[in-house]
Amino acid sequence: MKTLLFSLYWIVLTCLPNLVYAQQEQPMIGQIAPAFTLTGLDGKTYSLEQLKGKYVVIHFATTWCPFCNAEAPYLEQLHQAYRDKGVQVLIIDIKEDRDLIEKWLQRFNFSFPVLLDENGAISTKYAPEGVQPDLARHEVPIASNLIIDKESKIRFYSLLNTTNFDAKLVKLKQELDELLSNEK
Amino acid sequence: MAYLWIFILPIQLFWGHQTVSDIVKVKVPEAIVYAGKRSLIKVELEVKNGYHIQANKTKDEFIIPTTLEIKTYEGIRVERTVFPPANKFQLEGTNTYLDVYDGVFSIIITVQTNRNIQRQRHVLQAKLNYQACDNQRCLMPKTIEFSIQVEVK
Repeated sequence: MKTLLFSLYWIVLTCLPNLVYAQQEQPMIGQIAPAFTLTGLDGKTYSLEQLKGKYVVIHFATTWCPFCNAEAPYLEQLHQAYRDKGVQVLIIDIKEDRDLIEKWLQRFNFSFPVLLDENGAISTKYAPEGVQPDLARHEVPIASNLIIDKESKIRFYSLLNTTNFDAKLVKLKQELDELLSNEK
Repeated sequence: MAYLWIFILPIQLFWGHQTVSDIVKVKVPEAIVYAGKRSLIKVELEVKNGYHIQANKTKDEFIIPTTLEIKTYEGIRVERTVFPPANKFQLEGTNTYLDVYDGVFSIIITVQTNRNIQRQRHVLQAKLNYQACDNQRCLMPKTIEFSIQVEVK
């Protein structure tokens, strides 16, 4: 009996972080998105407050992240398809040099803003509590996608999952379409 | 019944919470080289189960390759560093393949020593740069600093 109890104790202890993560595959849903004011590569200042009244799609990226680069052309397509439907697409780059990001921008030619989270403070705010507790908090959102609604509530949050990678943003578009159709 | 848990427990420990420290372990057996000769030094790397790191040669200029830097050392010249062939990793749902390393592999360094170098132990300082991902995250690029003990005979 003692062995059984001891084993159960260890199972709970060792698997708890994974269970928490599994439960939070779409974390922070319904929460008010953390506010931010960031400078874009274009030199303009962007804040979530300014974008109230629009759906905001945020992709957290770094130039070296292969999954971010695979999604990049589809983010531009998304922007082109939804820009006139009250949707603002943004990339928040995490802790990288402006020169490097500018070079990266030349490849993808984004026509939407790329914002600089130079010290990782905003990425840290978007790291869901309890998810991947062993990582530096600013690393957690790398390659994540969010939809923030017109009242600044998080309606979609996909963390990186390479075994079910959605480069074409199919699920995000489904959610966006549903949100837009519910408005009519 | 108790025996059952003996089997389950290690599995649970393995699949349970893992830390991101030591994603890459570096092992360098002491190298023996000969003065005035060309020699090979082997650096062994072990990538934590479930992770991969980008290969030394990448097709994409923005991907951070695995690189090995060895600080210049009087009397020992690094001539060549050879990485193993990369494995292919497909980004699911795309036609993009990454060149990666995983598991255990070695980097072979060719060094040339001066003829008049002191016959004794020398220590080279090295840095391994890499960027790792597993199936749920891509981690910021990291650097491991380590030393290579070289016995010159």
